[in-house]
Amino acid sequence: MSDQAAIQIQGLTKHYGKVRALENLDLDIATGEVFGFLGPNGAGKTTTIRAIMDEIRPTSGSASILGMDTHAKSVQIRRHIGYLPGDLAMYPGLTGKDTLTYFANLRGGVDWGYVAELQDRLEVDLSKKVGDLSSGNRQKIGLIQAFMSKPEVIIMDEPSSGLDPLVQREFQAMMREVADEGRTVFLSSHTLSEVQRVADRVGIIRHGHLVTVETVAALRSKGMRRVELELDAHADATVFEAVPGVSDVSVGNHHVILSFEGQMGELLKVAADRYGIVNISTQEADLEEIFLTYYHDEKAAV
Amino acid sequence: MLASIFLKTVLDRWKGWLIALVSLLGLLVLAMWAYNSIDLGVYAGLPAVYRSIIGISADADVGSLSINALVASYGAMTLAAMAFAMGAASIAGEERKGTLGLLLANPRSRTQVLVSKAAALVLLTTLSVLTLWAGTVATAAVLGVSIAGMDVGALCFHLLLNSLFYGFLALAIGGWTGNRGAAIGTSTAVMVVSFFAVGVLPLIKGATPYLKIFPWHYFTGNDPLLRGVDWGDIGVLFAACVVFAVVAVVGVNRRDLKSQSVGTTMLDRLRSNPMTEKFVGRLAGSARVSGIWAKTASEYQVHLIIAGAAMFLMMGVMLGPLYAAIPAETFAAFDSFPKEMIALFGGGNMTTPEGFYQLETFGMMLPIAVMVVAIAIGAGALAGEESNRTMGLLLANPIKRSRVVLAKAWTMTLFSMLVGFATFAGVSVGSVLGRLGMNIGNIAAACVLGMLVGLVFGTLALALSAGIGNKKTAVFGAIGAGIVLHMFNGLGAISNTVADFVALSPFHYYLGNDPLNNGMDWGNAAVLAAICVLLIGMSVLLFQRRDLQQGD
Repeated sequence: MSDQAAIQIQGLTKHYGKVRALENLDLDIATGEVFGFLGPNGAGKTTTIRAIMDEIRPTSGSASILGMDTHAKSVQIRRHIGYLPGDLAMYPGLTGKDTLTYFANLRGGVDWGYVAELQDRLEVDLSKKVGDLSSGNRQKIGLIQAFMSKPEVIIMDEPSSGLDPLVQREFQAMMREVADEGRTVFLSSHTLSEVQRVADRVGIIRHGHLVTVETVAALRSKGMRRVELELDAHADATVFEAVPGVSDVSVGNHHVILSFEGQMGELLKVAADRYGIVNISTQEADLEEIFLTYYHDEKAAV
Repeated sequence: MLASIFLKTVLDRWKGWLIALVSLLGLLVLAMWAYNSIDLGVYAGLPAVYRSIIGISADADVGSLSINALVASYGAMTLAAMAFAMGAASIAGEERKGTLGLLLANPRSRTQVLVSKAAALVLLTTLSVLTLWAGTVATAAVLGVSIAGMDVGALCFHLLLNSLFYGFLALAIGGWTGNRGAAIGTSTAVMVVSFFAVGVLPLIKGATPYLKIFPWHYFTGNDPLLRGVDWGDIGVLFAACVVFAVVAVVGVNRRDLKSQSVGTTMLDRLRSNPMTEKFVGRLAGSARVSGIWAKTASEYQVHLIIAGAAMFLMMGVMLGPLYAAIPAETFAAFDSFPKEMIALFGGGNMTTPEGFYQLETFGMMLPIAVMVVAIAIGAGALAGEESNRTMGLLLANPIKRSRVVLAKAWTMTLFSMLVGFATFAGVSVGSVLGRLGMNIGNIAAACVLGMLVGLVFGTLALALSAGIGNKKTAVFGAIGAGIVLHMFNGLGAISNTVADFVALSPFHYYLGNDPLNNGMDWGNAAVLAAICVLLIGMSVLLFQRRDLQQGD
C-alpha cells in the first residue's frame, strides 16, 4: 500500500431539497488498498459513489481520483477507472458478449484474453441475452465489465449482490489480486462478512455522515467478545446492561448473550453476585457485531 | 374483480387520459372559434370526393365541422390510442416489466387480474367520452355555435364503442401472446389502415362493400352525428369487444407467463444458424455495438422499418395507381373553383396529382411518420437510458456527455432522412405507376422539408429529455407541441387573425410555399434546420448541467 491517495473526497455534501443525503464527507483512499464503504440502506453510500462518478453534482465539496477533479476531468478519469453501479441494469436485448464489446469500443479496446480469463473464473455464459440471465449472472457481466480494462481504480456499489458463495469467494480473490498489483478497489456493501475478508480499511457511514474510518485489524483489536452465559435462574437484562462495556444484550430463559469490551472479571463478578453460573462460552466478535455496536452508540448519541 | 388492482390501474392511468382530454377540448375551442370567424358557404359547394377525404358532410356548418374534426377524427384516434396503450399494458406490459409474477403471487387468478384491468379500461374510456361529450356541448353553448339537429350523444356513443374496440383488441393480443409490442403495433396498424380506407374506398367504383371489413366504418360510416345511433354498427363493435375479451381470458390462462425476458427475434435465430451466422452476427452483433449511434440505430430499427414501409407502400406507391383509378369527372367541379378557395383547404387541389398527394401523404402523414421515429429516439435517447438505469454504466466510459447527446441526435437525423427518402421513393414510384408525371425534384423538396419539420419535434423531445430526464414528459411535450402547432398552421389558412402568426408554426415552413408545385424553398429549409440545430445545442448544454436520474 502506498501513501498517495487514489481517491480524495473533501467536504462532499449533497442535498435534495430538504433531504440531506450527504453531509460534509471527508475521505482518503490510498493507492493499492481495498476500501470497504459500509452502511445500512439509505445511508448515503450510493450518493457518494454517484457523486464521485460525476453522475450527480455535489451541493458543495469536491472529490478527486488519481489527483484529477472528478467533475472537471471526468472524461480523463474514466480512462483509468472501472465502475459497477448499484442495482445494475444493462441492455436486455444484447448478449453478454455484445454488451462487453459495446463498452470495449467506447474505451478504445480491451484485452480479450483477459476477458476470457475473467469469464472462466466467474463462470458465465456470454452468448446469452442479458435479459434472459438470472440476476447473479447479470451481475457477473457487470463485474467483468468493471475489471476488463485493468483500470487503476475500481469503484463498485454493492458488487456481490446476487452472487453465490463460491463466486463471491472468487470475486474476493480477484479484488485482492487487483490490490496486490498496486491498483485500488473501492466497494460499498452492507454485507460485512465480505468486507471483513477482503478490505484493508473500512469506512462506516450513517445518515449521510461518516462515522468512522478504521483498519479491519484495528476494529478487531478493540477486543470485543461475544459472551454467552448459562445461569441457574431467570436472567434480567437490566442487570447486565448496567455493566460498563456491555452492549447488545439478549436474554433467553436461563441464558444471556451479549457483546462485551473490557476486563472479563467485572462481568463475571456481577453475574456471580446475582446468579449461579452454570456454563460460559466466549468468542471473538466478528465485524458484524462491532459494526452494530457502532450503530447503537450512534443512535444513543443522536 | 379485484378492487385494489382496479383502483391501482385507474390511478396509474388517469393523468394521461386527463391530459389528452384537456388538449382535445382546448383544440375544440380553438377550432370552433376559428371556424366561427369564416364564411363556411364554400364547403357546401365542394366536390363530394374532396369532402369524403377530409371528412366533411355536405351540409357542413361550424358545429359539425369542428365536432367532426375534433371528436370524430383527432379525438377518436387519440382515445383509441389511449385505450390500446392501456390494453397492451394490462397483461403484456406487466410481464415485460416483470411485475406480473409478483401480482399473481397473491391468491388471485389470472382471470380476476385481467377482468380488473379491463374494468379500469372501460371506466376510464367511458369517463373520457362523457367528458368530451359534455365539453363539446358546453363549448358550443359558450361560443354560440349552433349544434341543433346534431346528435353529439350518438356520436359519442359510437366513439365509446370504437375506443373500446381498440382497447380490447390490444388486451386480447397482449393476453394471448404476452407481447406488448405486437399488441400496440397491430392495434395501430388496424386503426390507421381502417381510418384511411374509410376515407378513400368510397371514391372507388364498386369498392364500397369492402368498407365493412374496416372497423372504423362502424364508427363514422353511418354518420351518427347527423343520423343518430346506428344499433347495427354498435352491435358489431360490441360483439367484437366481447370476442376480444374472451380471447384475452382464454389466452392468458392457457400459456406460460413470460418473465422479464426479451424473447427471441428473427435475427437471433439467424444468428444461431451456422449458414447465416457470420453475416448476421456482424449485422446484429458486432456492428450494432460498434458505437453509441449504431447501437441507438439498432434499438429503433423497428420504428424505422414500420414508418418507412408505411410511407413507401401505402402513402407512396399505392396512391399513384389509386389516383389514376379515380374517374376524372369526379374532380370536374374543381375546375370551377377559385384558387384562393382551394388554398383554404390546405392547398390540396385534387384535379392535380400533386394536390392529391399533398392531401393524402404530405399534409399530415409524412410529418407524423418522421415524428414517430424522431420523438421515440429523442425521448428514449437520454431519459430512456436513465429510466432503464443504464446511463450511469454508459457514462462510466471515457466519453463526454455531449458525445452521447450528439451520437443520439445523429441517429435521429439519419433515421428521419431515411423516412423522408422512403417517402420520396414511394411517391416517385407511385407517380410512374399511375403515369402521373410529377416532378421528381419537387417530390424530393417536399420530402426534405417534411423530414425537417418532423425532426424539429424530434429535437424538441431530445431537448426535453436532456433538460428534465423524464421520458413521458419528452414524448407528450413534443407530440402536444406538434398537434397544437399543426392545427394552428391549418387554421391560419382560414382565419385572418391566426394568419398573422402562422410564421410561429414550423409547419408553415413545410408546405407554406407549396414545394410539390414550386420546388425547394431554401429559406424555409434553413429556418427548420436552424431550429433543429438550436434544439440540439440546447440539449447538449442542458444535459451537461444536471444530475443523472436513476429509474422512473
